[in-house]
Amino acid sequence: MFQYIARRIFGTIPVIILISMLVFMLVQFAPGDPADLLLSDEATTEDIEAARERWGLNQPVYVQYWKFLTAALQGDLGTSFRYADPVLLMIGDRLPATIELAFFAILIAIVFGVPLGVWAGARPNSWIDNVGSFFGFFGISMPSFWFGIMLILIVSGFLNLLPSAGRNTYGIADDPITGFYILDSILYWNWKAVLDGLSFIILPAIALGTNMLGILMRVTRSSVLEVMHEDMVRTARAKGLSEHKVLWRHAFRNALIPIITVVGLELGTLLSGSIIVETVFSWPGSGSLLIEAINSRDYPLITGTVLAYTLMFVIINLTIDIIYAAIDPRIRFGN
Amino acid sequence: MRMTKKISAAVAVSVLLSGVISVPSASAQKRISIGATETISSHNPHGDSISMGYGIWCQVYGCLGYFDFASGSYKGMLAEKWEVDAKDPNVWTFYLRKGLKRQNDGKELTSADVVHSFWRMKNDKQSRQTQNVKHVAKAEALDKYTVRVTTKKPTAPLLEFLFDRVMITSKDLYDKHGARNADRKFPWGWGPYKLKQIDIGQRIVLEKDASNPWAKSTMPDELIFRVMRESEQRVTALLNNEIQIAQFIPPHLASRISKDKGADLVPTSSVELMFLAMSPKFKPWDNPVLRKAVCHAINRDGIIKAILKGQAQRLDAPIGPGQYGYDPKAAAAMKIDYNVAKAKAMIEKAGLKGTKVALSTPVGRYVNDKQVTESMIPMLKAIGLDATLKTPEWPTLWANVQKGKVPFFYMGRGGVVDPSPAFAQYFETGGSPRIGFSSAKVDSLLQKERATFDPEARKKVINEAFAEIVKAQPACFMWRHKLLYGISKKVAYKPTPTGRIWGSDIVVK
Repeated sequence: MFQYIARRIFGTIPVIILISMLVFMLVQFAPGDPADLLLSDEATTEDIEAARERWGLNQPVYVQYWKFLTAALQGDLGTSFRYADPVLLMIGDRLPATIELAFFAILIAIVFGVPLGVWAGARPNSWIDNVGSFFGFFGISMPSFWFGIMLILIVSGFLNLLPSAGRNTYGIADDPITGFYILDSILYWNWKAVLDGLSFIILPAIALGTNMLGILMRVTRSSVLEVMHEDMVRTARAKGLSEHKVLWRHAFRNALIPIITVVGLELGTLLSGSIIVETVFSWPGSGSLLIEAINSRDYPLITGTVLAYTLMFVIINLTIDIIYAAIDPRIRFGN
Repeated sequence: MRMTKKISAAVAVSVLLSGVISVPSASAQKRISIGATETISSHNPHGDSISMGYGIWCQVYGCLGYFDFASGSYKGMLAEKWEVDAKDPNVWTFYLRKGLKRQNDGKELTSADVVHSFWRMKNDKQSRQTQNVKHVAKAEALDKYTVRVTTKKPTAPLLEFLFDRVMITSKDLYDKHGARNADRKFPWGWGPYKLKQIDIGQRIVLEKDASNPWAKSTMPDELIFRVMRESEQRVTALLNNEIQIAQFIPPHLASRISKDKGADLVPTSSVELMFLAMSPKFKPWDNPVLRKAVCHAINRDGIIKAILKGQAQRLDAPIGPGQYGYDPKAAAAMKIDYNVAKAKAMIEKAGLKGTKVALSTPVGRYVNDKQVTESMIPMLKAIGLDATLKTPEWPTLWANVQKGKVPFFYMGRGGVVDPSPAFAQYFETGGSPRIGFSSAKVDSLLQKERATFDPEARKKVINEAFAEIVKAQPACFMWRHKLLYGISKKVAYKPTPTGRIWGSDIVVK
């Protein structure tokens, strides 16, 4: 197992280098110049030239990439053109907000999607199947940016239940420990801040997690439906086990592999989806940072953020592979 | 039964949570939150050149002065008075207020701080404000409270570049702690608000310094600038009292605020000029007849009424009321009427019928920009042009406009209080390649106005330059958008045309 993990980690290095090269080249060849976009409307031609010189944009692209790569290998992703801060530091500041949002989105998707799927799969064509399927299709077909705006209009605007933007209320939280607002508030035992954080995260997490919820519900339903017709289920019933035990202890566990695969794949989608949702809800995470970086052609920040996302995606996939073996003893690494 | 219990429990928890969680609002401590569209991107007060940033930093660090729209004149802040040398128009002298105490440690403002700020603005590698001091050759301290600024050439509109744009930061803190630490750990200034928190991408928090001479008891104790780029979000947040001031409400959302009992919709004219640029260095735009015909073809009143819902002021001249140099009589003489028949006849006579023209427009940058330009296409077709619309992504369009590669485009120029810098940039030879217009007469008039210090004489020259520009028509001046603000009834506030929000203008009821 250790060898397998080491091999997978080693195998990701060329992937990351290739992606860094692709992203670097793509942003360089995209129309629009950082100096034009980042300097004031009143900047003179000399100001623009000076900025290009300062940022090394006058050098050939391969020289710029080589400099980036050698610095990146030493843990330096460069300095943001726009914010004038080290990219690594900026990503480190913003990433916890994105991870926190993704975590709650997954939580919502799993907590609602999996049980709905299991119940729907266990009782096909029943009312619960119809309700579950409705939510499943709703989640799959709903664009997150539109759903987000609707949530803002209805829940924040019309019902006035939850805040519409941002991550927390100013003045409630203590100094950050981990950067995860809700976790930090729990560590401080500051329940007011915990509730405050929850009130801000609910809407973006619903907007982000609904699509995953729909997919999870549908996959769980199909998976459970299939397993419910297998011999082992009939055997479990013949043994006299209650329907609840048959469903959750036997059928559900055997239906888990495709569900986990989908969760793994959808995590990547969740990360990219967070870029849109963070913008809609003014969530100060790495997704909204990436949008700002793209709009201002902040090359180091774009490359750094995309690399961070790539790395997260690789780690998630590796983790999912490891979980496979934990839940299904038939799977062995290297065989 | 079990399911019913679970559902009941879930509902109970939801009700409990909704009771505990309350939407944040302005507290009794006079905290005012502003839904802003822009965010500063750096702790460095010279690291950005955006309108909101200038306003925030000026309230924290202090600036030499500002333009007062109510009186139409410049007012001093840290500078008590100023004068131009009668013999040498390159020499300006600024007299600082005495006894101004710095936040937190009470250190007095001196001319060394002002000289340092000029130096830093020009030499800081992060500075994006170098254009503001481009006319300054030298800044020197004459004594503890007097600063002499020498310009490279006589520059009558110098205050437009310096006032509320040059932030006065502390020399001693910079020398002792370095730029990064001084900006982050010791952002102490002489303005009425202390910088309490910058959470880039989320909010900026200012706290009133009650001991400051500009701090009034009616002003908010805390000002929170919250970044909210989505207009729907700003409106919603205003209506549920998350924020008390919402910037830049688009016309199609205005009715949501005007119908609400808790908020008012407050319009203000802007200082952003919207125009159609036609670069004479490209064919067929080198033909002045075509440029003039296009200006006659656009039904500006119709667009303002139907698409901008009346939330714009038509520009008869290059600038409008409230901007420096505006003369209603001169403007009336420069007015281009909407006259399709005339435009059509001009096109036909010049043999330009069927000429292909492509109008480039930003999308989502200005109020209803795409809809506005879409409506212009049939107007251009009506006079015999084969017009199409191009909608490139903003970074692409802007980069090409900056390089003078776009022949025909719809654009805005903000921050035009004194028109001198903007018109030099767009219409003076060598100002920038954006429009590619060059006229010896316009050049000489623009240079003359910069060297004319008598206000009335200068206004006259400015209008002569405008008349020449309108005659050549490298651009059709369209309108100035009215800036719509949503303002809670708990607050009295009159927004400024520059989009800067000053705590001193806000009264908490």
